[in-house]
Amino acid sequence: MDIQSWIRVSSVVGAGVSMGFGAIGSAVGEGYAAGCANEAMSRRPDMYNDIARTMLLGQAVAESAAIFSLLIAMLLLFTGGSSTSPLAPFGLIAAGICMGIGAIGSGIGSGLPAGAATIGIARQPASKSQITTTMLIGAAITQTSAIYSLVTSFLLIFMDYSARPFAPFWAALLGAGISTGIAAIGSGVGEGFVAQTGVESVARNPTAMSRVVNVMMLSMAVAETTSIYGLLIAMILLFKTYPATASLASAAALLGAGICMGIGAIGPGIGEGLTGQQAIRWIGRNEEATPIITRTMLVGQAVSESTGIYSLVIAFIMIFVV
Amino acid sequence: MQELGKIHQLIIHFMGHDLTFNVEVMIMTWIVIAFLIIFGISAAGKKSILPGPIQIVGELFVEQFFSLAEETIGEELGKKYAPLICALFMFLVLSNWLGIIPHLDEPTKDLNTTLGLGLMGCFIAHYTAIKEKGLKTYLKGYIEPFFMMLPLNIIGELANVVSISFRLFGNIMGGSIIILVVSYLTYSLFLPPFLNAFFGFFSGTIQAFVFTMLTTVYIALKAK
Repeated sequence: MDIQSWIRVSSVVGAGVSMGFGAIGSAVGEGYAAGCANEAMSRRPDMYNDIARTMLLGQAVAESAAIFSLLIAMLLLFTGGSSTSPLAPFGLIAAGICMGIGAIGSGIGSGLPAGAATIGIARQPASKSQITTTMLIGAAITQTSAIYSLVTSFLLIFMDYSARPFAPFWAALLGAGISTGIAAIGSGVGEGFVAQTGVESVARNPTAMSRVVNVMMLSMAVAETTSIYGLLIAMILLFKTYPATASLASAAALLGAGICMGIGAIGPGIGEGLTGQQAIRWIGRNEEATPIITRTMLVGQAVSESTGIYSLVIAFIMIFVV
Repeated sequence: MQELGKIHQLIIHFMGHDLTFNVEVMIMTWIVIAFLIIFGISAAGKKSILPGPIQIVGELFVEQFFSLAEETIGEELGKKYAPLICALFMFLVLSNWLGIIPHLDEPTKDLNTTLGLGLMGCFIAHYTAIKEKGLKTYLKGYIEPFFMMLPLNIIGELANVVSISFRLFGNIMGGSIIILVVSYLTYSLFLPPFLNAFFGFFSGTIQAFVFTMLTTVYIALKAK
């Protein structure tokens, strides 16, 4: 086959992967939100309108991860990239993998605060607007790991790689897609846990809102760190200059770096999210203990993150030494 | 679509080296700085007991960030660092909002800006640590819990800078890419204003706050 047909094949396959995997997360998250809404309605049937509105608003935010996948799938189907280099098929497939898998975590994660918000409104109708604001902040930060995947997929589709050597760079393209995409799973889910208890705590104790939201944002930012390592490895893989080589090992090292960082980032993302979840829950119950809880949370998250840093170190060694 | 990823650069040859200037980013940064200076002069120039609207906004910023800094870093040091933290937040929030105006770009969309601000926070945090704890205790922190952890502790410190700057960069860049692509696909009809409101105002404010908060916490963790 000539290169044009390979580009067409890869853009179609990439679009399928992007939308297929991308549909997983948001659906799970939205289903959870709707389930929680049922619980809320059975407690307060008279508040049907408020609960249904919050549920739909939360689901709309949770949907955005799937919409990013849709966007990339459309771009792959209708534009198919602009390059005709033999590297283009790898870039297009990698873009599909990156966005598809990258949308799973954020989709699941941003459904969790939406669910907590519906229950919270039923429990504490007077602070409806505070609960909704907290939910929106939490869900918006949860979306960021999907946004990193979107940035990487966009680069993979539209980057100009005509001057790059074919031999190691095909692996760098695939590695970049895998690194950002898989790394986004853990952070997305972990941040969702934190946002969920953030909303719950605001509903439990609305006067503590400013402290809860501050620590929630901080904890989510830390839980997001490993997905940023994924983005970092992807950027290095894409923008480093490689000498042309026939050795398969040096190409495999680039692919390996992407896989290492991507999968290595899942655990720390979820683990740091679990730490933040408990910290926020107990700040809501005992506001005075905020400084000591925050300190313990940050130390615990730093330890949990160290395994992500091991992956980062190995990925660096594979890129720069091997 | 094609304008994405193109950066207008001014390259000057100087003593055998190429000095590269990202002209657009610098102009946008100066626009933000000019805004802030005008805001500062009009907020604090005519101080009165019955404050005008701009003075109220200024007082709101100062009050919020002084209390945040004091709560996070501690009474005494907090007062010292609060002006820095307040200025950092105001700069970032204006930078992130700037992209809403047509033909203007967010300076934070460029990694150089965010990395520079991240490095600034890192240097301030380490300076604070040396000043507050003394050089010996500061250096001892690197070989805890045991000596073998030295390389990992150093990488951990560098990873902080990388994560804080890539977080802001990735979010602002991602937002502007989404707005650009959706505007292109819908011929700029209907959707872009809502996306601008979400990614520019809402997400931009959140990310500016997260960056400020993390810088504050890094300083606080180093100071104690």
